[in-house]
Amino acid sequence: MKQKTWQKIKANQELLPQYLMREKVIDVIREFFKSKQFHEAQTPVLVPVPSIEPNLEVFKTELTTSLQKKRSAFLIMSPEYSLKKLLAAGIGNVFEITRCFRNEEEASRQHNPEFTMLEWYRTEADYLEIMDDFEALFIRIIQVTQPQADLTHWEYQGEYYDLSSPWERISVAEAFERFAHIDVETLLSKSQLLVVGKEKGYRVDETTTWEQMFYQIFFNEIEPSLKNSGKPTFIYDYPLSQASLARKKQRDPRFAERFEVYLAGLELGNCFSELVDAPEQRSRFEADLQARKTLDKTDYPIDEDLLAALESGLPQVAGIAVGVDRLIMLAANVDSVAETLFFPANELFDL
Amino acid sequence: MATTNAGNISKGIYLIFKGIPQLVTKTEFMSPGKGSAIMRVRFKNPHTGSAQDFTYKTNEQVEVADVEKKEMQFLYRDGDEVTFMDQRTYEQATIPFSLIEDQFGYLTPELKVTILFYEEKAIGASLPAHVTMRVTEAFDAVAGNRVNAPKKPVTVETGIEVQVPLFIKTGDLIVIDTTTGDYLQRVTE
Repeated sequence: MKQKTWQKIKANQELLPQYLMREKVIDVIREFFKSKQFHEAQTPVLVPVPSIEPNLEVFKTELTTSLQKKRSAFLIMSPEYSLKKLLAAGIGNVFEITRCFRNEEEASRQHNPEFTMLEWYRTEADYLEIMDDFEALFIRIIQVTQPQADLTHWEYQGEYYDLSSPWERISVAEAFERFAHIDVETLLSKSQLLVVGKEKGYRVDETTTWEQMFYQIFFNEIEPSLKNSGKPTFIYDYPLSQASLARKKQRDPRFAERFEVYLAGLELGNCFSELVDAPEQRSRFEADLQARKTLDKTDYPIDEDLLAALESGLPQVAGIAVGVDRLIMLAANVDSVAETLFFPANELFDL
Repeated sequence: MATTNAGNISKGIYLIFKGIPQLVTKTEFMSPGKGSAIMRVRFKNPHTGSAQDFTYKTNEQVEVADVEKKEMQFLYRDGDEVTFMDQRTYEQATIPFSLIEDQFGYLTPELKVTILFYEEKAIGASLPAHVTMRVTEAFDAVAGNRVNAPKKPVTVETGIEVQVPLFIKTGDLIVIDTTTGDYLQRVTE
């Protein structure tokens, strides 16, 4: 019989601090945003319409009242839609730390089916200010949880990273140019990208899409290069099709204001300058719902309440979603998110 | 040519990667939320023993190497090569040491292992899940803090060190997990 985490801790109290790192990191996050006068919101985990993520699967259930009223209900994949309604209502700068859920995935090194998400939104701001927030927040987490750490030579799992400001900032187009030797015209052209991909040895057939090739190259050539740079990196300005909730770039409408932040080969957060145009948002939702159908994912409608909130007027806002479990895993210097959870899903459900 | 969906790739199988059969030593399924789900695979090159990562889309077709398995007995190591023998046909097979370096410490004389052949050439070995070995050197340890399930290192017949409970003595037979290197139990003779 395999020992459960609580039994291991009972047998060896020295393990406890590793698991209590969660409490510390969450305290730092809360203090960080409170000190910047952000409000903390608590939005529902059980909702009638979840967010539209073309590639993610949702946990579906049913809500039944004692009078036998029945409603479809879903566990959230992100608190984003609720928070945007609060932004429309005028809450101002806001953050939330909440549980999110994804079904039909493996409980893996970087992921647990039930996980903790941090989202924050800044009004009258764009994605550049969120980069500054993220950088400051992460450095603060390390300073508090590892007071002895040298930020220019910070160790995680036997490798060293330079966390000192400023972090690297590189656009997707520059990254493809630098790490995969693909210029921007080739990158954005389906036919040309598939030709280059095939030359590089990726499998290409009649069903291969531009998006598939984009990510094949991203995961095999860009991500490893970002890890090897030894610096945390913001990679920004994604091709428009890869940013369904982001605002177009004014200077170059082929791209949208989105960034992801990488450290130690891990994607830690995903940020948008938020799209506040309701008709544009509706058309992107419809495309995403169509993609869900093609992929045989659980069917559900568009959140009309969110579109109503956008129509009612949203301030210019930028926001980010950050996987808290990964921040904890980095702060605790452990190799998997399971090692930060008292009850990892693998153990809980015997996966 | 046999193929499989990249989503079904599992540790321990051989795939054709860069034109040659390579052992899958690690897999990681990820659904990053952007693009489709992916399968990160770590390969071990049978010629060099070096590791390389590759990321597939889970719905991609990958070529499975048609690897033949034979049960053979460990004979000896000679420098960079390890030799095994088929007990029925007395046929011998030699594989590079680098390929089984991690598991070499579990190869006891005459241990039966599965040797993998591709196009009639030996390309790897897979050991039984656990092996039984004799402890050749164990120091008496004082039972200290009982809460922490105390362990001590002992040396076994192949020369490697294993962490075992304090009651294990020189001459005991113990069972060891060949994947994790963990002590599993003591065998009573």
